[in-house]
Amino acid sequence: MSLIIKNLCARVKDGADILNGINLEIPSGEVHAIMGPNGSGKSTLSKVLCGHPDYEVTGGSVSLDGQDLLAMSVDERSRAGLFLAFQYPVEVPGVTNANFMRAAMQARLPKGEDVDAVSFYKELRGRMKQLGMDTKFTARAVNEGFSGGEKKRNDILQMMMLQPSYAILDETDSGLDVDALRIVSDGVNAMRAPFRSFLVITHYKRLLDYIHPDVVHILSQGKIVKTGGFELVDHIENHGFDFLKTTKE
Amino acid sequence: MDFPQNMSMEAAFALAEAEAKLDAALQESRERFEQAIIPNRLNEDWRFGRPHKYATALAELLQSSLLSHGVATVLHAEEAAVRITAEDDDLRQTEMLMPTIGSDAMLGMHLKRFGQGYALYIEESTTEPIVITYRGGELYTPATFIMVAPGVKAHVIEHHIGSPGSTMFATRNIQVAEGAALKVELTSKGFEHYMCITNIQNMGGKVSHLTAHEDSAWVREETVAEIYTAGADTRLFSANHLGGASVLDQHTKQIHHVGEATSDLLYKNVLDGKATATFAGNIYVAPGAHNTDAYQSNRNMLLSENATTNSLPGLEILADKVRCSHGSASAPLDEEQLFYLCSRGIPQYEAQKLVAQGFLEDVLSRFNKDEQ
Ligand SMILES: Nc1ncnc2c1ncn2[C@@H]1O[C@H](COP(=O)(O)OP(=O)(O)OP(=O)(O)O)[C@@H](O)[C@H]1O
Ligand SMILES: [Mg+2]
Repeated sequence: MSLIIKNLCARVKDGADILNGINLEIPSGEVHAIMGPNGSGKSTLSKVLCGHPDYEVTGGSVSLDGQDLLAMSVDERSRAGLFLAFQYPVEVPGVTNANFMRAAMQARLPKGEDVDAVSFYKELRGRMKQLGMDTKFTARAVNEGFSGGEKKRNDILQMMMLQPSYAILDETDSGLDVDALRIVSDGVNAMRAPFRSFLVITHYKRLLDYIHPDVVHILSQGKIVKTGGFELVDHIENHGFDFLKTTKE
Repeated sequence: MDFPQNMSMEAAFALAEAEAKLDAALQESRERFEQAIIPNRLNEDWRFGRPHKYATALAELLQSSLLSHGVATVLHAEEAAVRITAEDDDLRQTEMLMPTIGSDAMLGMHLKRFGQGYALYIEESTTEPIVITYRGGELYTPATFIMVAPGVKAHVIEHHIGSPGSTMFATRNIQVAEGAALKVELTSKGFEHYMCITNIQNMGGKVSHLTAHEDSAWVREETVAEIYTAGADTRLFSANHLGGASVLDQHTKQIHHVGEATSDLLYKNVLDGKATATFAGNIYVAPGAHNTDAYQSNRNMLLSENATTNSLPGLEILADKVRCSHGSASAPLDEEQLFYLCSRGIPQYEAQKLVAQGFLEDVLSRFNKDEQ
């Protein structure tokens, strides 16, 4: 079981090319990290994988546990086990967090079966507690008026509820305070399992110190330009992305 | 005229004068109805309401020999607090004097058929809502009169329920006394033609008024809120989800006769299919009504490219130190919100429903937040 991305090319609809042939294989059970300069295409990659309508795939393929991911609709991809914690979680006015989560759980049940309200709320409350979120967030509109860090925690809450087999975390660490970073990392680590993998996008070593990745990739100008181990993280922390320029020249 | 015994000369004189005034007003309104014409497209207040198709049909029904026929019920938990009458002279006189927004002829026809409905005199605060239901058949022309006494708090819910092919034309007069607080909601559902003329007279209390129309082919709503006393607080809300080829034609007036009072309007619609929504809202601030706060906002969410909206907000301000705002906007469903919900596995259709409900939720929660 794995997520296999082959030569993926994508552009903004009627606009510039952003992804220029991404090759990446994430087997079940592994944690991969992607680092890379601002604007290199990290968020675009994650959104293209989820089927965001702003982008158009111009080439390549993606297989998720053997299924053609790109042929699926946005909601099917999620139900197939893909999850993205957004760099900028979206505010949805008027829809409460609880109703939202309940609808997402409901969508995973066979026709005719209903979410059991009691156990649903019990689990939701329990997860919120684990993430240090006040339970009053269940009644608030999704992300509306949430602080930056609260939005990030809310996305992680959704991940914990939905238990995806492939989770992408797009800069979940930026905006989190020191304690929240540890809480969220603990949550992620607790979810690590042989049947689940993570793709962690970050600019900072700190998160990767907590969630120790098995493989580290560097993305630059829409391409994976380097793949290695934790030593890449240390290198970037100390020297930045200068080496990208020198290797190209 | 019969004077009560032991009445002072001054009191008798005042009473006679008041009655003379009322007679003159009634005479005037009779003339108003005689001169009024059945609405057509040339009538500015009926430009978008499909008068050719619907108003004409409604007028024909009203002039036909069809009997106005329906079932009226009222539920109230606290009997002592409310005096309820089914037919009432006050009701008739109030209706004769009520303002319309381009529908004097229709009101005149309604008056001729008048005779069903309720007058509620709410004299003590109630904790449970009073629920009025009008269930109409082919043609039903009920009238409601609600009067809330000084300092009294109440909550009234009106349901107007139709059946396929049915027509209802209702009038509603609502009077709220000083220091009173009334929450009142009107829902209509399932008519071929539905028209409702409402007049709210705020004498220094707080009124929150909500309308929600559902599943009717044609709805015409005229709501005139008149503010007569400083300190009055008037809130007008509406939330509607329209589909098919339904037509919603809403007209409102916030009339500030005196200053130092507030009115606030929020009308929101979600439109699907080939639905059309028209909102024409007017704020009028009379000369000398200084320090008025009057706001108005109309927002539409379009789920289909074939849905249309017309928004015609208007301001007429003849006083100083007035804070007024009016705005309208129509926009398609937010793609980012839809994507976010779908990215959690919620099917597009469900996600769209959630976002649309969320859009209207804001109106309902603001109405619900208002204390009664
Ligand atoms: N919808 C869009 N419309 C126009 N340009 C876009 C769009 N989405 C992405 N881009 C452009 O594509 C490039 C890659 O953006 P992306 O958000 O993927 O970068 P990133 O690697 O996530 O950067 P950061 O580290 O700052 O989050 C940027 O130059 C960005 O401006
Ligand atoms: Mg990014």
